[in-house]
Amino acid sequence: MKAIEKYVEALKNCDNKALSMCFAEDGTLRDYCPNATGRQEYHVYGREAIDMFFKNKFTFRQYLISEAEIVNDEQAEFIASIGGYYVMCIATVRRVDENGLITRLTVRPK
Amino acid sequence: MGTYVVTGGSSGIGAAAVELLKSDGHEVINVDLRGGDICANLATQEGRDTAIEGIIEKCPDGIDGIICNAGVSGNCGNLELVISLNYFGTVKLARGLFDLLQKKNGSVVVTVSNTISQGTGRMDIVDLLNNVGDEQRICNIVKTMDATNQTVGQSIYMATKYALARWVRRISTSWAARGVRVNAVAPGNVRTAMTDSLSDAAKFAVSALPIPVRYGSDALMDPEEIAESMRFLLSNRARGINGIILFTDGGTDALLNSEKVY
Repeated sequence: MKAIEKYVEALKNCDNKALSMCFAEDGTLRDYCPNATGRQEYHVYGREAIDMFFKNKFTFRQYLISEAEIVNDEQAEFIASIGGYYVMCIATVRRVDENGLITRLTVRPK
Repeated sequence: MGTYVVTGGSSGIGAAAVELLKSDGHEVINVDLRGGDICANLATQEGRDTAIEGIIEKCPDGIDGIICNAGVSGNCGNLELVISLNYFGTVKLARGLFDLLQKKNGSVVVTVSNTISQGTGRMDIVDLLNNVGDEQRICNIVKTMDATNQTVGQSIYMATKYALARWVRRISTSWAARGVRVNAVAPGNVRTAMTDSLSDAAKFAVSALPIPVRYGSDALMDPEEIAESMRFLLSNRARGINGIILFTDGGTDALLNSEKVY
């Protein structure tokens, strides 16, 4: 399973632990889609922070995805519900380390 | 050594603050509903007057500082109490003690909450508190709301804390110009009687507000950690600090709001 597939699977399952394990220890996630809902974007640095951050988002149902589709080896599209607002998103794995763990991932509105 | 007043000093964060200040050799007057040096219900004007008169009697030469800490959670089932105690119990008491504070160039520390940055408080109620300030009318409005709904309760709780934080920012400049610094501490989830008494659903919600310095455990912040921030802000070491909201939450706010730097 490629990193982008694991990432989407973890998002679909609202599994913060699995999501964090897609990332290298110092991996970063940058999500600009909240801007489209009037919120500030997310910049989450490090595996533990990704775990904690999405535990909060998933528990309060503030970040849910649907209609996910893998576009290619690095990209996936999905509709994210961010605080109840729907945004069409495209996630791109920018870099992975030698173990296939994500070191940099960006999500932008499509 | 100084003389300090702590409200809600019989338990939780307030008790830890009393302990710390006493350990520094200060005289501390605890104002609380029960078990205080002055027993008063700060949710009522009569109680506030009792507290102010009692403090004036004990400290005619002034006080070095006050920690306005008394409050209840949004799940207490009484939204009028949340409004009257959390907001007016702080603002009216601090105003009533201003002359005593000014006599000794004292300092005010207000307990708010890190939930103020989560954007789920009722901002209309915040505006009514800060801009209208009519306790009875605002209580009449919240009386019509469903106090058994935890989401409603939390939104009113957050509104009172947000309004307090904004009051601190607004009042701090003029009070500082007259010699009295005003700051706030914004605790995260702290192990107190308030959090111990939460429902299972509320405890679950609390667990979803991760505390980075406690990563990997379910432990909450200790009351002493919050009290340390309060002691610092009251002290002369913080003489250059005025009008700030000091988040003491182990990094929860930074985790959830990394882009908010001001």
